[in-house]
Amino acid sequence: MQAPVLVVRGTRAMTSKKANSRWLRYWPRLFLVIPLLAILWVPSYNKIEPALGGVPFFYWYQLAWILVGAAFVLLVYVIDTRITRVAETPPAGLDTTGAPGDIL
Amino acid sequence: MILDLTATSVFVALFLLVTWIGFVAARWRKADLNLLHEWGLGGRRFGTVVTWFLLGGDLYTAYTFIAVPALVYGKGAIGFFAVPYTILIYPILYLIFPRLWAIAHERGHVTAADYVRDRFGSRMLALAVAVTGIVATMPYIALQLVGMEVVIGALGFPAGGFTGHLPLIIAFIVLAAFTYTSGLRAPALIAIVKDALIFVTVIAAIVIIPAKLGGYGVIFASVPQEKLTLAPPQGDSLGAYSAYATLALGSALALFLYPHAMTGILSSSSGNVIRRNAAMLAAYSFILGLIALLGYMAIAAGVDKDPAYAAGFTEYGANFAVPALFLASFPSWFVGVAFAAIAIGALVPAAIMSIACANLFTRNLYKEFVRPDCSAADEARVAKIVSLVVKIGAVVFILAIPQAFAIQLQLLGGIWIIQLLPPILLGLYTRSFNAAALLTGWGAGIAIGTYMAGTQGFTSSVYPLALFGVTVPGYAALYSVLINFLVAAALTPLFDLMARRGASPAAR
Repeated sequence: MQAPVLVVRGTRAMTSKKANSRWLRYWPRLFLVIPLLAILWVPSYNKIEPALGGVPFFYWYQLAWILVGAAFVLLVYVIDTRITRVAETPPAGLDTTGAPGDIL
Repeated sequence: MILDLTATSVFVALFLLVTWIGFVAARWRKADLNLLHEWGLGGRRFGTVVTWFLLGGDLYTAYTFIAVPALVYGKGAIGFFAVPYTILIYPILYLIFPRLWAIAHERGHVTAADYVRDRFGSRMLALAVAVTGIVATMPYIALQLVGMEVVIGALGFPAGGFTGHLPLIIAFIVLAAFTYTSGLRAPALIAIVKDALIFVTVIAAIVIIPAKLGGYGVIFASVPQEKLTLAPPQGDSLGAYSAYATLALGSALALFLYPHAMTGILSSSSGNVIRRNAAMLAAYSFILGLIALLGYMAIAAGVDKDPAYAAGFTEYGANFAVPALFLASFPSWFVGVAFAAIAIGALVPAAIMSIACANLFTRNLYKEFVRPDCSAADEARVAKIVSLVVKIGAVVFILAIPQAFAIQLQLLGGIWIIQLLPPILLGLYTRSFNAAALLTGWGAGIAIGTYMAGTQGFTSSVYPLALFGVTVPGYAALYSVLINFLVAAALTPLFDLMARRGASPAAR
């Protein structure tokens, strides 16, 4: 994960490298495809066994994916804000400063 | 049923509390409420926590809390599609909507139609977006009343007639009054109380009820085995598998196109607020998954066989399963808390939905076509009045029209609203699509989606699509929006060519 970070930070606005750097900046979002595919592949979880504490697999597996899915979103958020910093870059000409109470 | 005085007192007390909060909200983060973006978007200043409550209160409605377990109670595993649906919405929210927020913030858009108007320069396409939004949301507001009606009935108020509807009418007058005064600030503050009540109720339900019934093993053992999983595909049909997956995906794609969801998103203070919420809102999904399981608990508790609840089931059908389960399992005072949670859970989305409809009407019908020169204060005044009209309309709707019809309309609403996906999604990344082509695609999607639901007698949105000898039962919304995309993509070069030759399509 270190190499792309350095490249992204060091990239000047060079046209030949632009497509490349976009890919490096946005690749973490591919993680979001994982919960999508897992949950849409219905036959993989349409069964009763193994049950967990009396709850059939069909139910506890999907409930667990709510948490795993959220973890993937959180992971991408952390990468986007801390490492590749795409989330901090507002679209050109956009002023997002001065928005009070970002947390509350 | 006899009126349960303890439960009713707790219920009324909590209702009075949120009424007070609704009016006080006008003074919260004080600003000029005679400006539409202040009244209708809370000044775009809601941070992560408030947005979390607001969107949670907005998307997980009273109707959801009643209808999802009712579906699981009645039909079993297929009703659990609400869970994959809520898993899918958050990656979608993360990928698409911070960008939409940024554009809307920069350009001062209050509604999705404002944004489409600006991106594609077409009044007609914006009109289509606005009208679809309003028409799809109206039955949704009406269904919030259904959720409320069920719990009011379960408290023991007589059903039917004017006296039967009186509590509902009073609740909606109160709702209309505080929405008029405080705008989006009211549901944002009330959502905090609502969610606290919902969390308490659900945690109590998943601890107390299984303990009473003998554990989760006993609960699932008492459900007929064929209900517990989806029926595996047979012959040349993909059966319940494709239905389950497409219902989840289609509903997830449709959700944030609804005006009330859009209003919740645009009222946040930054793109990162939306991104953080895409992870944090999963807490509500988890709660919804647990609520869905209440349907099985109702089966295990045998509430449908209890003569005390026979009248309720006759009146409200499967929707009575959860209220009956609460009545059977909780002491009176806590029944009051649980029912108040559901009723207040109806107020929050109903308020946001009516505000969203009012914003659409004011910005994209009134200002666009009736009075282009109206002042900012006029704009806010019209929106406030429209929010009243919308709520009166919803009450009349639910009292005058059979409930089954409202449910069918809401089902159609999902198919209609998803047709906004091509203009809204494509507008984020490219302006190269032709507005007239997008409008034609929208029309084709609406027509085909409605036809697909029509072949099912408007009682199911799952259409058995025959593809190369294989039947793929799937959500009509998803099929029709694909056609919408294809039409828009195919007609864009054609219409662009016509425009260049001077034969400008009408929608420009």
